[in-house]
Amino acid sequence: MQRLRPLLIAALVIVALPFVLPLVGLTSSTATQILVLTIAALGLNMMMGYTGLVSFGHAAWFGLAAYAAALSQKHLFHGQILLPIVVGVVFVGVLSLLVGALMLRRRGVYFALMTLALSALTFSISFRWTALTGGEDGLGGFDRSTLLPIDLSNNQTYYWFVAVFTLAVLYFLIRVVNSPFGHTLVAIRENQLRAEFQGFEVRRVKLAVFVLSAMITGLAGILSGFQHYIVTAESTSIEFSGEILAMVVIGGMHGSILGPAVGVLFFVTFRELLSTWSSDWLFWFGLIFVGFVMYLPGGIVGIVDKIRRRLNPPPEEAAAMSRRKIYEGLALPEGLRPAEGGGGDVLVVEGVSKNFGGIQAVREASLRVGAGEIHALIGPNGAGKTTLFNLISGRYEPTEGAVTLEGRPIAGLTPARISHAGIGRSFQITSLFDGISIEENIRLSVQAKHPGRFNLWRDVSSYGDINAETAELIRFLGLEGIEDTLGADLSYGGQRLVDLGIALATRPRMILLDEPLAGLAAAERERVTNLVKRMAEHIPVLIVEHDIDRVLGLSDQVTVMNDGAVLMTGLPSEVRADKRVQEIYTGTGTPAVTPRAKDADTSGPPLLKVENLHSFYGKSHILNGAGIEIREGEIVALLGRNGAGKSTFLKTLTGLVTPREGQIRFGDQDLAGRSAPDCARAGVGYVPQGRGVFSGMTVADNLALGRLARPMGGEGVYWSEELIFEYFPRLKERLNAHADFLSGGEQQMLAIARALSADVKLLLLDEPFEGLAPAVIEDLFRVLDRLRAELPILIVEHNLDLVLALSDRVYAMENGAVFHEGAASELLHDLDYRKEILWL
Amino acid sequence: MQIVFLFEQVVNGLVLGGYYLLIALGLSLIFSVGGIVNLSHGAFYALGAYLTVQLTGALGFGGAVIVSPFLVALLGILFERFILRRFYREDPILSLLVTFGLALVAEQAIRMIWGAAPLPYALPALVRGPVFVGEMIFSKYRLIMLAVSALVLVGIWLLLNKTSFGRVVRAGIQNPDMVAALGIRLQPYMTAVVMLGVGLAALGGAMFAPITTVHPAMGAEILTIAFVVVIIGGLGSFWGVVLAALLVGVVRGITVHFLPAASEASMYVLMFLVLMFRPRGLMGESIEKFET
Repeated sequence: MQRLRPLLIAALVIVALPFVLPLVGLTSSTATQILVLTIAALGLNMMMGYTGLVSFGHAAWFGLAAYAAALSQKHLFHGQILLPIVVGVVFVGVLSLLVGALMLRRRGVYFALMTLALSALTFSISFRWTALTGGEDGLGGFDRSTLLPIDLSNNQTYYWFVAVFTLAVLYFLIRVVNSPFGHTLVAIRENQLRAEFQGFEVRRVKLAVFVLSAMITGLAGILSGFQHYIVTAESTSIEFSGEILAMVVIGGMHGSILGPAVGVLFFVTFRELLSTWSSDWLFWFGLIFVGFVMYLPGGIVGIVDKIRRRLNPPPEEAAAMSRRKIYEGLALPEGLRPAEGGGGDVLVVEGVSKNFGGIQAVREASLRVGAGEIHALIGPNGAGKTTLFNLISGRYEPTEGAVTLEGRPIAGLTPARISHAGIGRSFQITSLFDGISIEENIRLSVQAKHPGRFNLWRDVSSYGDINAETAELIRFLGLEGIEDTLGADLSYGGQRLVDLGIALATRPRMILLDEPLAGLAAAERERVTNLVKRMAEHIPVLIVEHDIDRVLGLSDQVTVMNDGAVLMTGLPSEVRADKRVQEIYTGTGTPAVTPRAKDADTSGPPLLKVENLHSFYGKSHILNGAGIEIREGEIVALLGRNGAGKSTFLKTLTGLVTPREGQIRFGDQDLAGRSAPDCARAGVGYVPQGRGVFSGMTVADNLALGRLARPMGGEGVYWSEELIFEYFPRLKERLNAHADFLSGGEQQMLAIARALSADVKLLLLDEPFEGLAPAVIEDLFRVLDRLRAELPILIVEHNLDLVLALSDRVYAMENGAVFHEGAASELLHDLDYRKEILWL
Repeated sequence: MQIVFLFEQVVNGLVLGGYYLLIALGLSLIFSVGGIVNLSHGAFYALGAYLTVQLTGALGFGGAVIVSPFLVALLGILFERFILRRFYREDPILSLLVTFGLALVAEQAIRMIWGAAPLPYALPALVRGPVFVGEMIFSKYRLIMLAVSALVLVGIWLLLNKTSFGRVVRAGIQNPDMVAALGIRLQPYMTAVVMLGVGLAALGGAMFAPITTVHPAMGAEILTIAFVVVIIGGLGSFWGVVLAALLVGVVRGITVHFLPAASEASMYVLMFLVLMFRPRGLMGESIEKFET
């Protein structure tokens, strides 16, 4: 009954309108117009508000349907009204199906622009095809006729006729919005990518709503045509599209199904009242529209909501969390356990490769996951683990190779089909539906596999099986009691759990987990680990995780990847003992190059003193109290696992990430909270991971950008062009070459030279040796070694042999905080100590 | 004779394309730098035309054509500072809505100031009249327009590729973080690019004022064409936009001859055709932010 409240409200307003409007001097014709526009706006809002597809061209459907209905009455169904209405709606339905199939190939802004062009096209045709549409004069010569004994030519009667349609459309849309289909629309709006991986055929659903929306708006157009006895080209124009759009936005796209209707009431009364004393009403209306978009994107309904929330505030987040009930040791819900397969390998990846442009991200990777197995996939950053996940789950199509799930090939299918085949996955960067509740997040996933997922009519609450399964899974995950919390309001740990739940709820036969433990506190790690174990009793798990200790303790089989290829697969104990794997993570203990001298005087006061630094990406707490010191004359290494926060630490020093808390004393300034250009001008030089050279520009151009805005010739090191060529003679030869055509080593030289080509007091290097040939590494090593005497360097590098040989001191980070500080030499040759501190 | 006539239409199409280019290029520039699809771009074009008409009395045609784009560019500073800047990091749909609303407001403002009726405006005698090239006849003014479009194109290309301003802009499009880490504040460059973009639109309006009707809805009309060009060429691609502008111009030039009523519809058909085969436009790249 609660669901039908908007209908009741609408009915009351409809009954009241003919009595209220005359009081302000408006006629029943205005009342009819309000209803017609309401239908159009409701139709548009199915796309805008519910699905997140902005259409600047909905008038096209409004006008085309009206033309079709009018023409059909004139030429086929004389004296009829219902049949022409059906013809108009069906015409627009078929046309929008064709146009939508084409336009929905593009998304977001591109789609919006095409709708704009669509409206321009229909206007141009309607205006020019005079023979059919009457062109400038409009199309007339049809009438409302009679419906059995009722004469519709009376304006009062016609109002009630339109009222019936309005209420019918509203009732239909209320059913749609509360149906599985309607909930899928919201999922697409909130996170299209995730909806695809849940198994929703997003393109098809979008096309369906596009057609539905066009038909409803078309119905409005027909009713409008019969009201005025004329159809004009203006009714297909961009201006009119914009007016409908503005009504929807001003009324409120989200919050209430009646939002657009409120916008229509506002628009029409505003127009009618203002146009009596000013011909410029559209100017003021435009300003109001702009004001709403800029300051009140929730529309009028949003304002009401805000006031209501002010008067009756929701409970604090902490209070909400305290309702959470956690049951330890629950088994995986019955419904989620897949039927027994034939035993043997569940997932087989065979020689899979993926090229991005010229770069081979994954090279002939193969692995097998058997029934009941937890299979870990480990390897350093950039090894290709997440890319492999994307290839298995359908985000990318493999360039070559085969993927089979229980014997069925799945490589190259869409994510939705792979999900239906039985692969569920979680995401490295939490990917939920932010604007909807936890329960709905999970429920959507359960629904994605239900035969009723496309149902437009049944209420979601009437699907007992879906809701029971959702509740059971929420209990299993330990999220009971907070089901109503929005995804975005959840703590980071909670979000990770929901992400896991979304993957699990698709009832996978094989589940891929991408760093489920990343960024979690110790207690939560323990809980998630247990969940994974419980899950794995029934569903094989392939897990990427940087907490190597934990993942080796957890898994049955381990595959190690490096540089896009599989290095080995074996038992955890074999992997632990393997020399090659150790080399990847901790090096050999015998560096290929040795530094000349580390005898600089480092007794001075610290140049850089960082204390208690806290930084966030969204909800995820990346830096958690990290602090270091650097003095003149030393090279300091920052070590730690992937995801420990090293790169973020460097970015915080450069001002690219603004710390929420903490101090960055640099000389006599505090850099915390300063902008990146300010930090750069203060003397922080930065060479990012991947070098960050500007492509499409020459070496000289790149260097010029380094000199453009920073001071030169004051304090700190400043490399003139001659000095650059002395350090890196290669750059002199390549001065006019495009940066895109430089080798990796040359790019690295360029990036360092560019960073140093104005006054720099501290140099930050992120993975400077990554992907370089041994000879180049040696050159670069010597240059950095020489630089030690000129300015201090902070370096993040995963090649431990090199970086330990180069640096004087090291800091090791974990979970955003420094847990070890000491001389580099202690770690350089003592491999056991190195392992203890840095790995197993 | 038919061939000659066709060739004339192609050249006329190029003129048209060159003028679409002025508008589409500015649109594309603003998009590349700030990620904003400026639906009020047409308003700046209309403003350029109206200012030219207004200023011709005081400055003469030549002076007005030069001065009014500069005035509009100054307006661009306010536009960037108070509107666009708030939306660089927001959902692009929001900026679409805001600039759409602004276009509405601007069109009405023009109606309020200059009236709803088209303004009469004629070419000065100096640039009027035909030019004969062999058997072919061209309008002198249209050839001048073509030359100006070509000059602007070369100028923009030089500005983007051969100056330090252009280097910063291009670097900022690629990797704004790295630009900031070199001590360069991108903000003034953003303002300058918006000035340049709307100034180009105004130049288009100023030049077209004498040979089209100057009326309030002219901005909305040119806007959709500019968007068709940008969609066909690929958002943010310099050469894609150039190619698409000329293509659209020529296609329209030819259909005007064979099927006058369909001359507008033809470019939309072209757009849908291109999209069928190349969903990102002729030379467009995939930009994640604008496709989700």
